[in-house]
Amino acid sequence: MNNALSIENLSFTYQSWTEKQNEPLFSGLFLHIPTGSKTLLLAPFNKGKTTLAKIICGVCPKYFPGELQGAIQVYGKFLSDLDPWDLLPVCTYVSQNPQEQFVATSVEEEIAFPLESMGMDKKTMDDRIEEAIVAWGLQDLRTSSEQELSGGERKRVLLATMQAIDATFWLLDEAFDDLDQHWRDQLKHLIATKDKTVLVLASRYLGEFDDLFDQVLLLDEGVVASGEGSSLIPRFAHLCGDDLPSPLETDFVQPSQTRVLSCQSLQAERRRVSTAESEHFTLEVPHFQLQSGELVTLVGPNGSGKSSFSRLLCGLDVPLSGQITVDENSYSGKQLSKRVGYLFQSPDLQIFLPTVAEELSWSLKRRSDLSRAEIDKRVIACAELFSLDLEDTPTTMSYPLRKALQAAVYYLLDRPFYILDELDSALTYQSALSIIAHLRRNGAGILLITHDRQFADKVAQRSYTIKEGRLIAV
Amino acid sequence: MTTNTYIAGKGWLYRFDPRAKLLLMILMCIWFFLPVSLLHLGIVVTLVVLVGSSNTGWHHAWRTFCSISPMLLFMVLFMPFNVREGVPLITIGRFILITNEGLEQALRLMSRFIGITYVCTLLFATTVMHEVMLALRWYHLPYKASLVVTLAFTYIPFIADSFSQITESHRLREAEDEQKKKVGHRLKDLVPTLTSALVVALRSIPNLAMSLEMRGFGREEKRTSFHRLDAYHHVFIHFVLSCIIPIVFWLVSMLF
Amino acid sequence: MQGNRNALKVAMVSVLTAVVVVFTMVVRIPTARGYLNLCDVAICFIAFTFGPWSAFIAAGLGTALADLISGYAQWAPISFVVHGLEGLLVALIVQKKGDIAVSLGRKALAAVVCIATVSLGYFALSALFITTVSVSAAEIPGNIAQSAVGFALGLVVSAAVKRAYPPVSSLAW
Repeated sequence: MNNALSIENLSFTYQSWTEKQNEPLFSGLFLHIPTGSKTLLLAPFNKGKTTLAKIICGVCPKYFPGELQGAIQVYGKFLSDLDPWDLLPVCTYVSQNPQEQFVATSVEEEIAFPLESMGMDKKTMDDRIEEAIVAWGLQDLRTSSEQELSGGERKRVLLATMQAIDATFWLLDEAFDDLDQHWRDQLKHLIATKDKTVLVLASRYLGEFDDLFDQVLLLDEGVVASGEGSSLIPRFAHLCGDDLPSPLETDFVQPSQTRVLSCQSLQAERRRVSTAESEHFTLEVPHFQLQSGELVTLVGPNGSGKSSFSRLLCGLDVPLSGQITVDENSYSGKQLSKRVGYLFQSPDLQIFLPTVAEELSWSLKRRSDLSRAEIDKRVIACAELFSLDLEDTPTTMSYPLRKALQAAVYYLLDRPFYILDELDSALTYQSALSIIAHLRRNGAGILLITHDRQFADKVAQRSYTIKEGRLIAV
Repeated sequence: MTTNTYIAGKGWLYRFDPRAKLLLMILMCIWFFLPVSLLHLGIVVTLVVLVGSSNTGWHHAWRTFCSISPMLLFMVLFMPFNVREGVPLITIGRFILITNEGLEQALRLMSRFIGITYVCTLLFATTVMHEVMLALRWYHLPYKASLVVTLAFTYIPFIADSFSQITESHRLREAEDEQKKKVGHRLKDLVPTLTSALVVALRSIPNLAMSLEMRGFGREEKRTSFHRLDAYHHVFIHFVLSCIIPIVFWLVSMLF
Repeated sequence: MQGNRNALKVAMVSVLTAVVVVFTMVVRIPTARGYLNLCDVAICFIAFTFGPWSAFIAAGLGTALADLISGYAQWAPISFVVHGLEGLLVALIVQKKGDIAVSLGRKALAAVVCIATVSLGYFALSALFITTVSVSAAEIPGNIAQSAVGFALGLVVSAAVKRAYPPVSSLAW
């Protein structure tokens, strides 16, 4: 058998939880991965890349209900005859979202869990775990829990687990995300040198991908297209909308009064997720300023203190010293929260109510100065702007729509300043940009936090970064 | 939120085999209900507290005491209602406030309460959680049950963290002219927060199930174990000690 | 291949247990027994949504673990029995037969049983094993208040969750 994976005529539609039927995600998809090949499958965000991976692993539609048709074979065996656990020594999946894959309380135990399932003897297990821990630089984190790790560290734990299991087929979903250059190089090296079948799924084309793969494929309109890299990559860019005019070029209203958010010689304790470094972490902000209508970025690697700074700016945390002012007035706590809107990276933590309509009108209803009719008018206009359906259930909407809803909620609050945390992390640049464009329609000042320098360069008028605990202008 | 109950240390309780320690804990808890004299009960409780604090440090012992102090205070305050008959000890006018028997009973209950508290706390302060689970597995706790406990521990920080972020995000969404609210309103506001915390938790269920199966949960092979209790020596002696200690305490209280 | 859903059961009970722990520990009003908390909200939610067995294990284990983590290990067995029973009984009473909605009468019965289990359960067990009759009796009002508020909120919250997250219906077993 020379195909590690072969998918024939696959169709899949997610079960709908509302009246309206879901669009099929795949229809008549064929995919063949030869044994020992290294394949890159490009797919725009939210077009079924992760679903495809879960189908291959046999857990979808088992745990993610939907209608599946077609035949899938892994090393010549039909997936319909296998259970997900049968695939453990065969195929390892590394999720795009590492949190969801953790099943143990410490890094060591996490790597050990699948080996225990395979009934491996103590000696071999210890050796493999040790090797994987050293390979991914996790020596200091052995007993740390998942919650104490940063995004990059979590990914390294998953990669270490993958290496320890030593399956023949690696299925990597956005594996390079969250990793620093050093670890990206290591993963590249591992893919290139190990005798494995590798399928990498990605929603952004990275420089790392050049020369790494034997074949590049594109997931487009529910089927897989193959072709030369030179023709596929522009087609992929087109699918992501990268060739459309930037939505930022639309005009926005410059407010009558230019408002200024600034902070001077701010000192704060920095939230450090990892326990690996025991030194005392502080964040120092000598000077920071954001004006109405401005679009400023804050770029820096994971765990450098970007979120700590955001939490200070919107009044969730209190600085050790220094002050934050809006138009020369010093504010703190709740008063700051009412002036600076903070959009968390995960929209799900900011969505509460059963329908889009309730979600959007929630804050407006609490204002004493608005009539019922006025609220409805604003809600309808806002939903239209963000292309939302008022009757939809937020928790079952797609990620880009949930992200848009989160932004729409803040749009209605009409704050003079917004902080957008990792807005681009699972959105195409195009949809991220249009969210920014909507939010600044009324002339709000925007601080965009990202670790993607490419995106930052695309939009920023000015830029800040954090180096060794100090926020500096670039 | 931290789920850690373990206090790092090197005392003999730390080197005591967890299986035997578990037995010792249960036997001691039973011992506190034996009909012994108040004096003996007091001595044993003092011993337990002393041994405990020498193992885990005075700071931990004090914290444990603080956590039960409101309860102890209540026991003192409610003393007059316990036993009405007997030799009056304190009277206000013709009203008997506390009797000798009442005082003795209160002291007995308080000692017992302190004793049980320290014995239970000590087990979890001197044993790492996965070793407690291994010990329970040794006593034939099914694998699935111990897995549920371990997974719950994995998910507690995640859910607690989501919960606090949801509360914060709620705060960030307040309208500009919002004023302080009444209790009823605050309770009503709690509903969306709780709801979305629950939804975040529920969404992780299929993902967890998926990951468990991907990591081989359900395979037919007999699971091996990464952690073991091999590091503990003289297990038999520990078990004997676990049985002897409560018996000696009991014999001593009978004879003297 | 679709038959074996053991992993789902384990995953569900684990996550629900963690939910009970968090609800117990996040909001606390100190009292003699330790604290008043929201655990009954979580327990009633689980009982309404996931049925008797999940409710029994998650409620019992969750409150016991919460006691253990917060250094009240001596209460853990009592909490396990009382809250486990609470979850089990409430779930049995409001268990749906077919598509018929749960009648108001049964909800009221569930509320009474819930409050009675918690207050009397704690009273009896703690009077027997840990404290004195009078102290345990003094806690009855607090327990009644906590479980009553918990039950009412639990009712509201479960309706809200069913509306906000329809796939919840595919998880119940």
